[in-house]
Amino acid sequence: MPYLGSEETLKELKRALSNPSIQADRLRYRNVVLRVIRLMTQGLDVSPLFMEMVKASASVDMVQKKLLYLYMCTYAPLKPDLALLAINTLRKDCADSNPMVRGLALRNMCNLRMPGITEYIQQPVLAGLRDKASYVRRVAVLGCAKMQNLQPEAEIDGAVVNELYGLLRDPDPVVMVNCLRALEEMLKAEGGVVINKPIAHHLLNRLKELDSWGQSDTLTFLLRYEPRDEAELFDILNLLDGHLQSSHGAVATATLRLFLRLAAAHPAVQADALSRAQGPLLAMCASASRELRFAALCHVRRLLRSVATQYAAHYKRFFCSYSEPGYIRLCKMDILVELVNDENVALVLEELRAYCTDVLPELAQAAIFAIGRIGQMYSERCLGILVSLLGLRQEHITSAVLQTFRDLVWLCPQCTTAVCRAVASLEDSIQDSEGKQALIWLLGAHGDKISSAPYVLEDYIDSLKAELSSLVKLELLTATVRLFLSRPAETQDMMGRLLHYCIEEEGDMCVRDRALLYYSLLLCGVEDIRRILGGPTTDASLGVIAGHSEEPVDSWAPHFNTLELLLARGCVHMLAGRLPAPPSDGPHSSLSLSLEPALSPESFERHWLELDVSHVGPVTCPWPHCLPEALQAALQLVQIQVLAFSRPQSLPWKAYLYSHGDGTLILAEVLRDSTQGADHLQLTMKQVPRDKHVLQGFVAVLKSALQALSRDTS
Amino acid sequence: MIHSLFLVNSSGDIFLEKHWKSVVSRSVCDYFFEAQERASEPENVPPVIPTPHHYLISVLRHRIYFVAVIQSEVPPLFVIEFLHRVVDTFQDYFGVCTEAAIKDNVVVVYELLEEMLDNGFPLATESNILKELIKPPTILRTVVNTITGSTNVGEQLPTGQLSVVPWRRTGVKYTNNEAYFDVVEEIDAIIDKSGSTITAEIQGVIDACVKLSGMPDLTLSFMNPRLLDDVSFHPCVRFKRWEAERILSFIPPDGNFRLLSYHVSSQNLVAIPVYVKHNITFREGSSQGRFELTLGPKQTMGKAVESVLVSSQLPRGVLNVNLNPSQGTYTFDPVTKLLSWDVGKINPQKLPSLKGSMSLQAGASKPDENPTINIQFKIQQMAISGLKVNRLDMYGEKYKPFKGIKYMTKAGKVPEGRRDEAALP
Repeated sequence: MPYLGSEETLKELKRALSNPSIQADRLRYRNVVLRVIRLMTQGLDVSPLFMEMVKASASVDMVQKKLLYLYMCTYAPLKPDLALLAINTLRKDCADSNPMVRGLALRNMCNLRMPGITEYIQQPVLAGLRDKASYVRRVAVLGCAKMQNLQPEAEIDGAVVNELYGLLRDPDPVVMVNCLRALEEMLKAEGGVVINKPIAHHLLNRLKELDSWGQSDTLTFLLRYEPRDEAELFDILNLLDGHLQSSHGAVATATLRLFLRLAAAHPAVQADALSRAQGPLLAMCASASRELRFAALCHVRRLLRSVATQYAAHYKRFFCSYSEPGYIRLCKMDILVELVNDENVALVLEELRAYCTDVLPELAQAAIFAIGRIGQMYSERCLGILVSLLGLRQEHITSAVLQTFRDLVWLCPQCTTAVCRAVASLEDSIQDSEGKQALIWLLGAHGDKISSAPYVLEDYIDSLKAELSSLVKLELLTATVRLFLSRPAETQDMMGRLLHYCIEEEGDMCVRDRALLYYSLLLCGVEDIRRILGGPTTDASLGVIAGHSEEPVDSWAPHFNTLELLLARGCVHMLAGRLPAPPSDGPHSSLSLSLEPALSPESFERHWLELDVSHVGPVTCPWPHCLPEALQAALQLVQIQVLAFSRPQSLPWKAYLYSHGDGTLILAEVLRDSTQGADHLQLTMKQVPRDKHVLQGFVAVLKSALQALSRDTS
Repeated sequence: MIHSLFLVNSSGDIFLEKHWKSVVSRSVCDYFFEAQERASEPENVPPVIPTPHHYLISVLRHRIYFVAVIQSEVPPLFVIEFLHRVVDTFQDYFGVCTEAAIKDNVVVVYELLEEMLDNGFPLATESNILKELIKPPTILRTVVNTITGSTNVGEQLPTGQLSVVPWRRTGVKYTNNEAYFDVVEEIDAIIDKSGSTITAEIQGVIDACVKLSGMPDLTLSFMNPRLLDDVSFHPCVRFKRWEAERILSFIPPDGNFRLLSYHVSSQNLVAIPVYVKHNITFREGSSQGRFELTLGPKQTMGKAVESVLVSSQLPRGVLNVNLNPSQGTYTFDPVTKLLSWDVGKINPQKLPSLKGSMSLQAGASKPDENPTINIQFKIQQMAISGLKVNRLDMYGEKYKPFKGIKYMTKAGKVPEGRRDEAALP
């Protein structure tokens, strides 16, 4: 930052810092240091004063010490050789009689972040781990992690790790949580801190002593633990029960997540936990902090996919108020749509109707889309509202209404007549391309019911030169050809003009190709093109897919209380409402395996060791008697990588495979054991994150590949 | 967990940064500034912003954005709650949490941030404990410090850290033992043009200021505990006892704390304490409109409605207003079209009213927007939900404490709104 007279200031400060009479006066000395820090926080580079500042750190004044530590941590990476001078002072402070000084010095020494510092801090950190003051131990524990961060390539000291595991039994709860955090950071490469049965139970028993941050962290760590049997599981759930209704949102949601994870096999327990957590979640949805409200609403939105009925009675809590920011209102509208039932539909629609005239166009449009989604179930009521909105003659509103019309016509054929009537009496022109596309589609698909359809399309064709969006042009081409099929006499002339323009003058390749395609289709004859373009214009069965189907809790539970939930802003929903997904025919066909990203043998080994087995079972298929290299090449074709295998003729014979499918990583071990008969194959698979369908798909692919291979070799 | 913290003011300048791990360049905030520019209003900046290498989680309080930089997956509620705790602590220390206050006390701010987080993990966040580590600046102490040269930093470690009750320090001693409880309720309601309630709910809190020596064990009982819907407690409250007997039993923290917050949402229980009569009309073809508004109290159990403030966002077509308030003063901002009327106290004998005319843009069509009316108010000595504390008892200590309970009702953050549909075509 350019700072006028900064050099002068620096010189003056330098003089002041080395002035013995100022040094003698504690207060004046501190004030000079304070000025330096102030300049530093304003962005001025005061590193030239490092020498003088190091000298100043040999003071008994606590505030001055803190200020100087702050200064050193900021500039040590820039002046490593000078910072070494300060280490002596810091090490002396680490042996001070006041625990506060000890802790402070230790913490800042670990924060220095300069090369070669580790050899100086190792001894004080280790001494700190055994300090009698818990304050120092807390700092020292995290210091271990910082030390590791300073030299990431260095080997992890097993003794330190053991010491930290031992400190999990420390009487101070914060030391315990810090141990977890430090171990997690140090052992990141090995999959983080290991939670075994004694540790898990120790943590659970001490949960009460922790502050809310510690509780939230510990609960997240406990997600890793898998109880051995049912009795243990229910013991754990009993211990956790009280925390479900904690006043801290972070603790309540972390507990709920752990509950859902542990009780994955007991849907009744999950449902019970969800209903118990409803109170705290609803309270958070009304909390004074906007951000908390938003986070809670995002959680509720996800919960509703499985337990919509539970929240239906509380729909009024999700009515928006004017002072709320847009992101909250969007979220609330999403929730309202999910909560609609026969009893509240009138009130919810009335409420949404009021949002449609919001000053912000995006909110108004979102409200209209929400009405459209409700319209898939209560089409008559919604149509009335949507048609009346057209009367407002506001451009963004008209555009959004037309887009909802298009979806409604697709999903609810019974709306078609009313929609066509409304579109026919539409007077204003639309400017944005989304709205244009919707209008043009409607005119093309239902032109036989809209008397003015050819004339409106003609206007668009005439002003085609000024049109910028190629999507609109594509839509216009399709619509015109469709309309030609239903009303040839009125459309023929303008279709000719449109095709001529698109083929001869259009610069966009996509549009040109489409026009050429239609042109050659037209040459084939009207019957052919009717068969191709005259597909269904409505499909009520799609409404079932786009509409409500209860998802199992496990489909979203892994993402509960994570950032992912807050980022998936309603766009997914809107898309689902607008573009119905094609019906999938079984999990197998939709699975696509891939080799990317590649996995190194080391990381394979690490994953293999830390993951739990997802599936073990025999593979019922003949063993292909071929060289492992051939097997490797064959499996690569179906996107499964063979990473390692035993020598050809040895028994038992093993191979390790991996593949990625639908965002999950699948690791597998194929074991051919002579004791079970030479053709018996045992398959052990591990997967992260878990997804049964993908796993089944993987087995199917592997099996078919092996079968094909054995056919070829035999 | 929390890598760095940036404090950004509403004009988009970073005025303070703190890094707990390696230094993250300021340029990471560019993504935040982008979002800030896109947002039409300051509060419209989304709380979570993804960037290629980090997540930015921000809270907006007192027109300052507290932007935390996160590098790995974290529970979002954790970070948001923590940031709010930071703001609360600043407010607690400096009285206000403004840019100026933070800049003035920049050293204390850094000290606090250093103690609150280490390596990105929360360390000491309880205000009781922090205050023993770092003494808050007061005018008196500043004067004393300047004379004696002593500092704001506690020389000793906080004593409470190892007590059996983590939220209370041991060896507390007061000459006057007192416990005060404030029952504060905020009412949020939306009312339609005909005066019927669309939604109404009450958010209540009980804030306590407990200055009792030793280890007191308190029980607080209510006359009508079933009123409370969703209750969330301070960790000190024994939850089992509440579930079984509907009694609050707890060993209180020392000093100020929030004992519980609750929610009353059953419609029949929520009575709106004021009513509005209004008549806002625009005539087709005329550039004049009429504006009439009258306020009156309703179901206040004889308590006075105070600090009443009415505000309304008038349609864009309104150029100016010429109104006559029977009491208080009104202002109209011709740019934002915000009309606000500071009424003061409502006198039930002489109801306050605001009448007059609005001048509209000549030639413009009749406005089709629906003006909403927001009302803020306060009522002392009454909890609108009817919640009443029955008795407060103390066990475990011999002395007799002084006890006090105060009630207050006010309009919530989401104030009472009135949807005036009459203006629609």
